[in-house]
Amino acid sequence: MIHNAQQSDPAVPAIEVENLTVSYGAVPALLDVSFTIAKGQLVGVIGPNGSGKSTLIKTILGFLKPDVGTVRVLGTPVEKARKSVAYVPQRGTVDWDFPITVAEVAMMGRYGHIPWWSWGPSKEDKEIVDEALEMVRMQDLRHRQIGQLSGGQQQRVFMARALAQGAEVLLLDEPFAGVDAATERAILDVLENAKLSGRTLVVVHHDLATAAEYFDALLLLKQRLFALGTPDQVLHAELLSEVYEGNVRAFSQLQSSIERKG
Amino acid sequence: MLELAYDAFIEPFVSNRFMLKAVLAGSLVAIASATVGCFIILRRMAFLGDAISHSMVAGVVCGYLLMKKLTGADAHYPAMIIGSLLAGFFTVLLVGFVSKVSRIKDDTAIGVMYTGIFALGGMLASVFSADIHFHLSDFIMGDVLSVDNERLWLMGTVTAIVLFVIILFYRQLKLTSFDPIMAASVGIPVTLIGYVLTTCTSLVVVGAVNIVGVILVIGLLVTPAATAYLLCNRLSTMMVIASVFGVTSVLFGVYLSEWFNFATSPAIVLFSTFQFSVVLVVSPRYGLLATWILRRRAISQPLIEDILGCLRRDDQPVTSRETIYAHVESSSRTIIRAINHLVKNDLLEIVSDTSYRLTEAGTREARRLMRAHRIWETYLQRLGTPDSELHEKAHLLEHVHDEQTVDYLDDRLGHPLKDPHGKEIPEDFVHLVPGEVVNSSLLREGHSGHITEIKSGSDLGLTVDDFITVGPREKSNTLWSFQLPNGNVVLLDHQDTERISVRLTESSDQEN
Repeated sequence: MIHNAQQSDPAVPAIEVENLTVSYGAVPALLDVSFTIAKGQLVGVIGPNGSGKSTLIKTILGFLKPDVGTVRVLGTPVEKARKSVAYVPQRGTVDWDFPITVAEVAMMGRYGHIPWWSWGPSKEDKEIVDEALEMVRMQDLRHRQIGQLSGGQQQRVFMARALAQGAEVLLLDEPFAGVDAATERAILDVLENAKLSGRTLVVVHHDLATAAEYFDALLLLKQRLFALGTPDQVLHAELLSEVYEGNVRAFSQLQSSIERKG
Repeated sequence: MLELAYDAFIEPFVSNRFMLKAVLAGSLVAIASATVGCFIILRRMAFLGDAISHSMVAGVVCGYLLMKKLTGADAHYPAMIIGSLLAGFFTVLLVGFVSKVSRIKDDTAIGVMYTGIFALGGMLASVFSADIHFHLSDFIMGDVLSVDNERLWLMGTVTAIVLFVIILFYRQLKLTSFDPIMAASVGIPVTLIGYVLTTCTSLVVVGAVNIVGVILVIGLLVTPAATAYLLCNRLSTMMVIASVFGVTSVLFGVYLSEWFNFATSPAIVLFSTFQFSVVLVVSPRYGLLATWILRRRAISQPLIEDILGCLRRDDQPVTSRETIYAHVESSSRTIIRAINHLVKNDLLEIVSDTSYRLTEAGTREARRLMRAHRIWETYLQRLGTPDSELHEKAHLLEHVHDEQTVDYLDDRLGHPLKDPHGKEIPEDFVHLVPGEVVNSSLLREGHSGHITEIKSGSDLGLTVDDFITVGPREKSNTLWSFQLPNGNVVLLDHQDTERISVRLTESSDQEN
């Protein structure tokens, strides 16, 4: 039942953002950002540190309220589309000492579906959680406390939670940060499977060298939206030098990645 | 014996009728405060709990004075309770306000506001000391043995309300404590749940103040929960275990005060701290003892690498245990444990009771380590390390041998063939696998293969698909020589070889 998230009209875009401005103080983190993401895409959000990537994710999630502008998820204003969006936090922001097991974290994905007066999760909720854990191959570790997992396993637990939410749109904040190459591959497999089951994924990513390889489309952000398109359209030197202000390291990596592709 | 136990544990309840009431009231409060305490420590709110309890002094004094002035009633209990709850809430609001409108962080805001309110209570109490006919010190130090029926009912009610609320909102409390962003995204009112918890904390503190007093309340709130935290992997179990620790603290605290004639509240908190210390040491997973044993049991990686190196250097078909003892610095017991570990991991084979030999995997691992050692030595020499220190330093550093580090050093050094002692550095056999594509700079004499890619740049005299055989390096190993099938030899420097990728056809047998 979670292999295919509840499908809505395919013509409706997954995410529509219009004239979005979000600020924490005098300087807006996001300024007049507008874009549309079609369904079933794996989209990477790239940009330098502090360019508003996490802010964008949190706004699409409905956690931050925009100063100006609207966010629509599957054609519905974000406040009313809660069940359609799920979120995978950055690994550094999680309290890994929290007394909670793998299965319990995955079950949190169902909390939005369990009415508050209800005693506990239903049989159906438990089946959905089992299925989600199976998809990320974490069934065997379901009773582990989350601090006793490797980096990649920790990432997969939160993937399972997002899948258990049954959401059509998944937002991931730097899932590839600080994991080794094999784990990166494993996480990417989970992402691609989720995409194949009809979900839309928006992934904050910091490594330009792999961005072209991993994503269908890239969204280049630095306070404003600089580009949204296929990797070939977005990853060209002129645009990047403007956004990254001549960060040489980023370019040399990119050069090699483009050559590898071509 | 039985008599002794009766005298110690049962007799006090018989001879002192306050005891039962005290323990009952204390246990009720301990259960509620331990349960709330679990959330308090997970949310790092301990200091806020302390603040709430102190500010209540002002609330109690205000409630007392108000009823005294209005109705003339002395120590009107409900008014004092409501006063203390309001004071607690007022403190929380003030703290939130100050940290929101200024650059002052939460912990500082708490420190500023609660001492202010606490002091206000103290000042009112001294100004109106003529009107106040109760001992503020009872409130500050607490006195469980003076619990009357009225207060017993109060504590029962508090505990019932708090447990009911926590069970009702368990999922919401858990999720908002663990991941507030996700909680908000599924529509849980995070701020409201925060206030629910603060209200529970205030209620619990009102009850607990009667047992242990304002000053020690925080101990009853967080110590049992912290003790359980060291033992549990699940929040639900943690709450149950914390309650048990809370009840035992009260029970044994009361016993201690009875046996040795201590003041009761310090005895309760002291016993709770004692429980915590014991668990801190012996907890099976997070305890000091367990960590220490684990560290003792762990076989150090350097030791394993030293043993592998020893067998490789020995270079005999079979190496005796004595040779290992002679060359590896460690106690014989530790060495045997390490050897067993190696055997279990198929790196070492037992030949007889006291002799061993490397397996194929063991040989490979030993060579990989030797390569790391020799590359480190070459690198250190290049940095100008005196020859006398080379081996020692490289020996320390060879344990840093992850693939990327060694590859990086190898490349920086221009892929040297020999180490400073003139010994051969093994080829990069991790990458040089027949059939795989490798960078041509890694090739050694005798290798051959087809060129698969040449990165753009000046013409090298080679094209893609050329078959090349590697000859000896020239010009003190800085020029690679590649021979084409027609007999032509191309000489390239390090930089140029890096542009070429080659699919290896044949492995060469370059043993050291």
